[in-house]
Amino acid sequence: MTAASRPGGAAAFDRTLPPPVGAPPVLTLPSALDRTLENGLRVILVERHALPLVSLQLTFPGGGWAHPPEHAGLAALTADMVDEGTPTRSALDISDTLDLLGASFGTTAGYDASMLRLSVLRPRLEAAVELLADMVRSPVVPERDLDRVRRQRLGRILQRATQPAALADDAFARAVYGSRHPYGTPLLGREPTLKALDRDRVVAFHGDRYVPEGATLVVVGDVTRADLDTLLAASFGSWSGSPAAEAGAADVPTAAPRVVVADRPGSAQSEIRIGRAALARSTPDYFAAQVANTILGGSFTSRLNSNLREEKGYTYGAGSYFSMRKRPGPFEASTAVASDVTAEAVGEMLREMRVLGEERVPDPELDRTRQYLARRLPQHFESIDDVVSRLAGLALHGMSLDFYDDYVDRVLAVEADDVARVARQEMDPQQMVVVVVGDRAAVEGPLDSLGLGPLEILTSGDER
Amino acid sequence: MSDLSIPVARGRLDNGLKVVMSHDPTAPVVAVNLWYGVGSRNEPPGKTGFAHLFEHMMFQGSAHVGKNGHFELIERAGGSLNGSTWYDRTNYYETVPSHQLDLALWLEADRMGWLVPAMDQQKLDNQRDVVKNEKRQRYDNQPYGDWDERLLRLLYPADHPYHHTVIGSMEDLDAATLDDVASFFQTYYRPDNAVLTVAGDFNPDDVMDRIARWFGEIPAGGPVPPLPGTPDLAPVIGGTVRDHVVADVPLPRVIMGFRIPPYSSDDFAAAEVARSVLGSGRASRLYRRLVREERVAKDVVSYAFPLLTGQSMLLVWGTGYPDTDPAVLEAALAREVAGLADVAADEVARAVALTETDLVRSLERVAERADLLSMFDLYFDDPERLNRELDRLRAVTPDHIRAFAEARLGSDNLAVVTYVPEARP
Repeated sequence: MTAASRPGGAAAFDRTLPPPVGAPPVLTLPSALDRTLENGLRVILVERHALPLVSLQLTFPGGGWAHPPEHAGLAALTADMVDEGTPTRSALDISDTLDLLGASFGTTAGYDASMLRLSVLRPRLEAAVELLADMVRSPVVPERDLDRVRRQRLGRILQRATQPAALADDAFARAVYGSRHPYGTPLLGREPTLKALDRDRVVAFHGDRYVPEGATLVVVGDVTRADLDTLLAASFGSWSGSPAAEAGAADVPTAAPRVVVADRPGSAQSEIRIGRAALARSTPDYFAAQVANTILGGSFTSRLNSNLREEKGYTYGAGSYFSMRKRPGPFEASTAVASDVTAEAVGEMLREMRVLGEERVPDPELDRTRQYLARRLPQHFESIDDVVSRLAGLALHGMSLDFYDDYVDRVLAVEADDVARVARQEMDPQQMVVVVVGDRAAVEGPLDSLGLGPLEILTSGDER
Repeated sequence: MSDLSIPVARGRLDNGLKVVMSHDPTAPVVAVNLWYGVGSRNEPPGKTGFAHLFEHMMFQGSAHVGKNGHFELIERAGGSLNGSTWYDRTNYYETVPSHQLDLALWLEADRMGWLVPAMDQQKLDNQRDVVKNEKRQRYDNQPYGDWDERLLRLLYPADHPYHHTVIGSMEDLDAATLDDVASFFQTYYRPDNAVLTVAGDFNPDDVMDRIARWFGEIPAGGPVPPLPGTPDLAPVIGGTVRDHVVADVPLPRVIMGFRIPPYSSDDFAAAEVARSVLGSGRASRLYRRLVREERVAKDVVSYAFPLLTGQSMLLVWGTGYPDTDPAVLEAALAREVAGLADVAADEVARAVALTETDLVRSLERVAERADLLSMFDLYFDDPERLNRELDRLRAVTPDHIRAFAEARLGSDNLAVVTYVPEARP
């Protein structure tokens, strides 16, 4: 054997150590063409011609926040009615056409916005966009279809009431924001509010929100600017309208720290949610919060998952996240654990939050986390749907489309002090609302003995 | 209408490891994907759930990788990773920035060749607890969570490898030992029982050298033992079998299952298109009639399982409203299944168009591409089949569907699981 290295760099071969790596690849971020049409519709185009595929998202500011809580479910119900009929197409015609085009189409309403997504192969783009425009501009909301969709949604409310994870999510939102606040009410609505939503309300919400001014259309894929312009002129050229003022919900309330137990007798596990109202998307602490959360519960090797799953075997998984919205959305840590370790798990989760604020994060862990966030960036732009989501999110929150250009630098600039500061501000265990959905008989005593304050008990039916 | 042309190259190491390479430098990421020819079908009685528990142990480190090493190293590299266990196979995969290809190969090779020295009782006990919590979270604590267990029992006899679910039973998980881990590893986790796919941004000129360097010295194993029990199975059940469940569920649900030809059969394409005609999209027969028109169901589902062993299965289900009579719902489902006798050419075209968009969209991601290539190589020794998938479906005619439905979707081949809500106290 000679010492000369073989082509391919075999000289460095040593199985006992991780292989050395070369320089990271350069990510070329998509460059976007950004303009606003005369009717106020902002159009963002990224051309990608690798596959004969185009994805679009039309985003209208105004979702669950835009209507009062007594109309809970209205934004989502309205989104659902967009593809249920136009003056020239029945609900069935629309489904048939979408299926024959092989188009994937969906509508959703979040708290901040109502969104329509369409994805189609390039040769069918013209037909799909014409249909999209017809649906967005002229839904007729037939009574009979509205009644069916409302019934389907009432069925889903019933289903959620027996799913422990859904129960926990809803109980947590309500405990943190209160049932009179938009963020405290499920987007799906509640049984009484949904039953009370009639056609007039849906038509009015559509008229107030589904208008070009202030809306954004993101288009990514195998289409040129010239072709897109032709398409838009044909389908959206004569469209006009301005949004109505939002209903103007209350400020985000400060919830009293407490423990809420939703009794689900005989549960095989306890679903746990711990959190509070935290950050808006516009926070200057965006990057520090991402790093802090990734350390706490934002990856597989995070402290919550390592502790509760890989060390203690309490759970299949534990994690946390900031839901950053236009107004301060929740910070939330969650897991599901065997009933007999419920209080231990809650105690450990709160302890991890406290430690993150009090003890300086070790350099290797901080570095690993920053690298994780920075180097994942290419995966966030892999598919055209990914690119659509990223750009639509930036547009909705009024952020520069250049946001990702210095993303890596800003992640790498987060220091241990930033992590501790955000943790103390947003993850203070003294300020947390703890929600447990489980078998009250098994969990109440141990939870009480944690000394976290008064226990509030919800019984079946309180949550609908 | 669009023809797929995913690049596919193949290689093989002397130890039998099959390699599929799909080069595409569009994005600076690369996917590494391994399918092993072992799944829950290989579990004998008393060992149900073991293949999946073993999959968890594969993330607990190996001779040169610490307990959390897989996750720590891949996450630090900005990658993602996971694994999954299914009836006929187990897969493991990483997606990493392209300069980290060697890291993923090294990690996969280390656990393929040198897993056992890193195993200990504490890790086994820990992952057993994790898996038991997975079962609680995803099955035991969910309404309708035992539907697949009930349906499999009706469709497959007790000595068939599909009689039990992938997650298995708590009792069998409790009985698993470290010796079981070592012997399972020696029996199934060998290079000649696996396919390795690399897809995305890599150097085609040296990738085989890299793979050979990391995997080449892992020895091949002896023959893989035959499947336990009796994999051969009559094409039809021979009647209608039922399981009526009164449980804490919010809404009635009727699930109908049928034995269908295995995924390897030419007839499977007819099953895929038939299930799509029935339940794929809102213009499908079940959605149109049961959800939109008659309103006996709030949602419908149809699925043809791509299973290999003996007979596969097709299912349709409908979830009713609180006042839906399950017998009415079942009759409506049965009527639509029988109605496949008059399936029209445009319905077939619609079903194929839907599949086409789904497939093209999924192939955008290198991880999905790698996973499908591994599957086609492991199952059919034919990764190129990916590029012919749509042709296979386009060749299906209404006559094929009629013949398939007549042979397989009748009351002589029907398993029904019905859930009704228990009376509320």
